Amino acid sequence: MLLDTLELTTDEFEAVTGWAAEPEGMCKGDICVPAPDTVTADGHLDVEAVASRLGMALVADPEHGIWALGPESGGQALSTAVAPELELPDADGNPFKLSSLHGRKVLLVAWASW
Amino acid sequence: MWQALHAQLESAAVTVVTVALDVDPEKARPWIEAAAPTHPSLIDSEHRIDELFGISNVPMAVWINETGTIVRNAEAAALEPSKYAAIEITDDFPESIRAVLTEMKQLPDIGEAYRAAIIDWAERGMDSRFALDPDEVIRRSRPRPVEHSRAAACFEIGRHLHEQGHGQAAIPWWKQAHRLFPDNWTYKRQAWTLASTPDGADSDKAQEVHDVYGTSWSEAFVQTGGANYTVVPNL
Repeated sequence: MLLDTLELTTDEFEAVTGWAAEPEGMCKGDICVPAPDTVTADGHLDVEAVASRLGMALVADPEHGIWALGPESGGQALSTAVAPELELPDADGNPFKLSSLHGRKVLLVAWASW
Repeated sequence: MWQALHAQLESAAVTVVTVALDVDPEKARPWIEAAAPTHPSLIDSEHRIDELFGISNVPMAVWINETGTIVRNAEAAALEPSKYAAIEITDDFPESIRAVLTEMKQLPDIGEAYRAAIIDWAERGMDSRFALDPDEVIRRSRPRPVEHSRAAACFEIGRHLHEQGHGQAAIPWWKQAHRLFPDNWTYKRQAWTLASTPDGADSDKAQEVHDVYGTSWSEAFVQTGGANYTVVPNL
């Protein structure tokens, strides 16, 4: 995901990544990763330190003033077989949530014009 | 093809969801309109399903059951026999074409078996031997080193720059993504397509890609080999 600043509050980081700052550390679903000394008194996050803890690559493009945060790494691509939530637009920009299909089998097919 | 399958299996409570990995959504539109799908037809310009579901090439598919559990990992997806199996390669084909066709014949020719597996799952659910239990799904998922995370981040920066009209600035970021995650063909094929000359232009498309990226799809495909190009379904 793209960031135009590393000055993020814990709420902003959670909104972007799904990882919440809890007493136990950074938590997402059932998983918590210790992340001591990464939250400041005013509720901001040391994004570089937290990204490192979570195995999320943080890549800077200083020329354009942006950063990109990669997905979590380490272990296997799937730590659970529970399908992640996925919300994507259709060709007209209307959003669609994969979870809206609970109750049906889903065959998710990746293709491209190329 | 996928629309026909969706129509066939809709009464068996199977929904096909197609996801176009197109940085430029408008490139996918003509194909979507031609298919006139009644199923969800989505656009993933950020290639998020690569990291979320282990997609590394197209076409690939993932199976998800009624409870939202993945029951089959991302694998090459086809519903029909390979068109290349029957092609006879003769000496009067140019060498470059011969090389590509030879490797095309090594691509997994699994369309009929994969279609049959989907139908078996549609009819039998988790009793189907093709529906895997969670531990097996996790075991079959690929390792995810930090290089893959970095590749995704670099690809995203490139995508953003391309979307903002800075196509040239995107190129070094996409090159980095290719170096960091060489098995991810969606990053490569997407970038190479955007380096091609416009339709109707005089210059050779493959040469333009070669000039920018030092390779082309056909060169990289022959080098990798058809047998290694995608994730062969383990049926």
